[in-house]
Amino acid sequence: MSHELVNPVPIKHKFFTPGVYVLIVIALNGLVFLMGRFFFGLGAVTNLNDQYPWGLWIGVDVAAGVALAAGGFTTAAFGHVMHKEEYHAIVRPALLTAMLGYTFVAVGVFVDIGRWYFIWHPLIMWNGNSALFEVGICVMIYMTVLYIEFLPIVTERFIGKVNLPGLLTALNKPADKILRLLDRGLSKTMFIFIIAGVVLSTLHQSSLGTLMVIAGPKMHPLWQTPVLPLLFLLSAVSVGFPMVIFESLIASRSLKLKPEMHILSRLGSMIAPLLGIYLAFKIGDMFIRETFVYLNEFTTASVMFSIEVVLGVIIPLRMFLSPKVLKSPPLLFTASALVVFGVLLNRINNFVVAYTPPYSTESYFPSFGEISVTVGFVALLVLAYRFIVMNFPVISLPGQQTAQPKKYTIRGVEK
Amino acid sequence: MKKIFAVIFVLFFTVGTYAQQSPGKDHAKLHINCVSCHTCGLPTKDEPCWVACPREKMITVYLKAEQTDELVIIDQANERFGPVYFSHRIHAQMSVMLGGCGNCHHHNTLEQILKCSKCHEPSRQRENIAILDLKGAYHRQCMECHREWSHETGCKSCHIPISEVKGSHKEESKKQLAGKVHPPVTEPTKIVYETNYEKGKFVTYYHDDHVKNFKLNCIDCHAQESCTKCHDVNNPSSDKLKLVKEKKSLEDHHKKCFSCHAKDDCAKCHLDKQVEQFNHEKRTGWALKKHHINLSCINCHGSKRPYQKLNNQCVSCHKNWKKETFKHYVTGLRLTEPHSELGCEDCHAGNDYSVKPGCNGCHENFVYPKQKPGILVGK
Amino acid sequence: MSGKSRRDFLKKSVAIGSVATGLSASTAKAGPKNILSEDRMGVLVDTTACVGCRNCEWACKDAHNLPAGNLDSYEDRKILETKRRPDQTALTVVNEYPHGKNSNLPVDVKVQCMHCDHPACVSACIVGAFSKQENGSVIWDTDMCIGCRYCMAACPFQIPAFEYDKAINPLIMKCDFCFNRTKDGKLPACVNICPVEALTCGPRHELIKIARNRIKRNPNRYVNHILGEYEVGGTSWMYLASKEFKELDFPDLGKNPAPGVSESIQHGIFAYFVPPVSLYALLGGIMWITKRRKELEEEEKI
Repeated sequence: MSHELVNPVPIKHKFFTPGVYVLIVIALNGLVFLMGRFFFGLGAVTNLNDQYPWGLWIGVDVAAGVALAAGGFTTAAFGHVMHKEEYHAIVRPALLTAMLGYTFVAVGVFVDIGRWYFIWHPLIMWNGNSALFEVGICVMIYMTVLYIEFLPIVTERFIGKVNLPGLLTALNKPADKILRLLDRGLSKTMFIFIIAGVVLSTLHQSSLGTLMVIAGPKMHPLWQTPVLPLLFLLSAVSVGFPMVIFESLIASRSLKLKPEMHILSRLGSMIAPLLGIYLAFKIGDMFIRETFVYLNEFTTASVMFSIEVVLGVIIPLRMFLSPKVLKSPPLLFTASALVVFGVLLNRINNFVVAYTPPYSTESYFPSFGEISVTVGFVALLVLAYRFIVMNFPVISLPGQQTAQPKKYTIRGVEK
Repeated sequence: MKKIFAVIFVLFFTVGTYAQQSPGKDHAKLHINCVSCHTCGLPTKDEPCWVACPREKMITVYLKAEQTDELVIIDQANERFGPVYFSHRIHAQMSVMLGGCGNCHHHNTLEQILKCSKCHEPSRQRENIAILDLKGAYHRQCMECHREWSHETGCKSCHIPISEVKGSHKEESKKQLAGKVHPPVTEPTKIVYETNYEKGKFVTYYHDDHVKNFKLNCIDCHAQESCTKCHDVNNPSSDKLKLVKEKKSLEDHHKKCFSCHAKDDCAKCHLDKQVEQFNHEKRTGWALKKHHINLSCINCHGSKRPYQKLNNQCVSCHKNWKKETFKHYVTGLRLTEPHSELGCEDCHAGNDYSVKPGCNGCHENFVYPKQKPGILVGK
Repeated sequence: MSGKSRRDFLKKSVAIGSVATGLSASTAKAGPKNILSEDRMGVLVDTTACVGCRNCEWACKDAHNLPAGNLDSYEDRKILETKRRPDQTALTVVNEYPHGKNSNLPVDVKVQCMHCDHPACVSACIVGAFSKQENGSVIWDTDMCIGCRYCMAACPFQIPAFEYDKAINPLIMKCDFCFNRTKDGKLPACVNICPVEALTCGPRHELIKIARNRIKRNPNRYVNHILGEYEVGGTSWMYLASKEFKELDFPDLGKNPAPGVSESIQHGIFAYFVPPVSLYALLGGIMWITKRRKELEEEEKI
């Protein structure tokens, strides 16, 4: 039954389009500022200071990056662990997004930390009390797991097609053998990595919320709560599918493909309950701690919180409950984009807006350099995604048979 | 002030010479700050809660500022600075309203001033950190006032850098200080406060009444008043004398009066016009004369307030008066031989000593005071 | 704010947090040195005695090889007109506040790391570079630091500073209680130089006794509060003052250790790795069951 759904192929399309050129310019602009950061220090490029040690790069590149890459583990849990094979078509794009997302999270961390050349230190220097240590280690392992999960796509692309240039042609056969060996080994063990990926994601998605708990009263009460880890996990879970829908619709438009509405609508129908649970906890927490009093005042915090909850959770929740929205690509896209926006804003709020140090002389707003680097990374990520789906079998074309229809459908659980 | 000195001196000679220098049973009434020796508010014999400091020799002597050295050289070894030439006498004069000698010499001695280093260790790294080290102790003595006075906290405002130390500093300082005194503080006699209190706008305060009649000491009201109380340190022109009144809360305004007048009602002080100085004769109809002028109120009226009207019979105060031991000459009149044999009532009719004594009982046409029954003598 | 302080919310948060996580007190095995010695040292800062001479600022820079300049230049009191914070160029600074009653007698407050008994930075540091030593000092190992600045986000007193202007080898900077001096038996540089001994260095328990005694003997001089005795679970550096600490810009932090909630959540999630392993097993089980069902369905079809 799943044959016609799962037939990923490299998409044939022109790589360079006007949009791609724009993205390249944005990425290059970011890279210029990135050079500035490495040559002249963080202070030269960012608005960070002793009052605000963490800014846009931690809030967006790292925290939001991890949250928005949650599509990888939610679809893996759904598609592989629960064996809902009809969704396998979206597992690979989601996996690719997660892999690229986490790669850029790692790069984001690398750029943000002052002593980047010691980024490996947490591997051998452990502090079990530190939420950041937990996040760091989990992200590192999970990224490795994601790469392993992605390997079959690489082997699939190259098995029987290894064609090394020049003198290396002699190695073609051994390389092919290695690939096949790898492929067989991975097939048998993939289930370990898939479950590990889900567990690791659950852990670090929530620990990312624990990060700011230690900041205590430095964080605005609207966000500071001991259930932050739970809220982070719930929001990550609920943003997983919207993110998949969001990028699938963008990709199919950009690559001139027919949107896979039959899968996306069904995915969409599952978002509402997840969003509902998230909203219930968020509002419940607000009422238990009586922080709603802060909504009576007109401050940056109260406005940002309201936007986050109303625009990012309540409105899309209502939209996903409507069958009309689920069937219409533009409406489904809007609703998904709102959820993505809501979670993005939530991470920015938690790490940037809510953070008010006791001795602050000015408030923090990211510098042009910081924004450039972040936007540049997003552009690079889109470009990388585009490049990979054009060269590797990631996106499934409905109705087209492929050379190996069944072998890679359910990774790791085949006999 | 004198009286306190006298009391302390008496105590010193009667009690102080005993083996253990106990400050005496009634030392609680003396003007010694309790916390100089005790850590707790209510020390008892069993739990004296002593301050950790040698108390073999207790605070007893207060010299007058004028009796002290004009220059004290503080010369503690220091790699950066030479000695400090401290104008002791002027500072002693200035400290009258700031707690007197005890303000600095909080463990003053009988004969010789205790050296600060007796309690304050020269090393900051020490066992007993509850007591300041010597450097800290010295600097606090000076800087607590000086930073209020001049806002200067630089070392050079007191110290001479070691490179600039000359041998002649001592002579120069002595010459500078010779005859230098703080001008005597002028006491007001009367202050009229115009208040916002509707029922009685004026409060008339007679300063000399309180000092002379009520026998109050300066520090009883002017405790812990530093230089800035009167001098405007922010106005370097003139002699820094303050012209602007300080703003005080209603409570602070009344605080000083309330320490004695706590039980009096508002109308005691607040009246709709200024009042004249207290006059015992006008108020009570009984003029204070002769010996009575020098008495303070409590000598007759007791410490219980408000003061009760007393019977003007002498025996109502002079309760131990006995006819047998009474020598009439203490009144200023030495009776001649025959008169000294008479009974009191023979001249002082009805034992009423407030009216003129009469001679009519024996003499005709004799009237006191011209026809005296004796010789006037000095009191 | 709407009448409620942030601390009130935090209190409630702590209550919820402890219920939510069951307050597992287990300490992680892989963690930095975090010793709460009985005889740990501390410093009592008597702000009523401090005259604001800023000699401590000079001594601190001198002891930490930072550009210190001439000691005489510190006599300029103009700098006290602006409120400063410790940063990478000065690990301690003195700020001046009005006395309230006596305009001629300002209150001077020295600011530096409080050396918490339960330091947030020690708990937060990703590589465990921070440590609480036997002698009470909270220090860090620069060679381990990766420059993530989580210590700065975590510190309730906003103390650690960072050398943002350095491209290579930027350092976290804060007061280290002169660890290099104290381990040789010397006093911290600031304590050593203070002319009025407004800084008393000694065993923390003794300092508390001394502080209580000072308040008792001089109730008019001090407010009845030793800042740091209980704040955030106690700090090695403690303060006495003539007015409320809020007016001297001290944050109102409550008595719970700063890393308390965060650590109990952490240890709750990772209690001996039971929750993650259980989750793994559960997912594995689900995976196996759903697979079996699928296979049965396929077989039926055939």
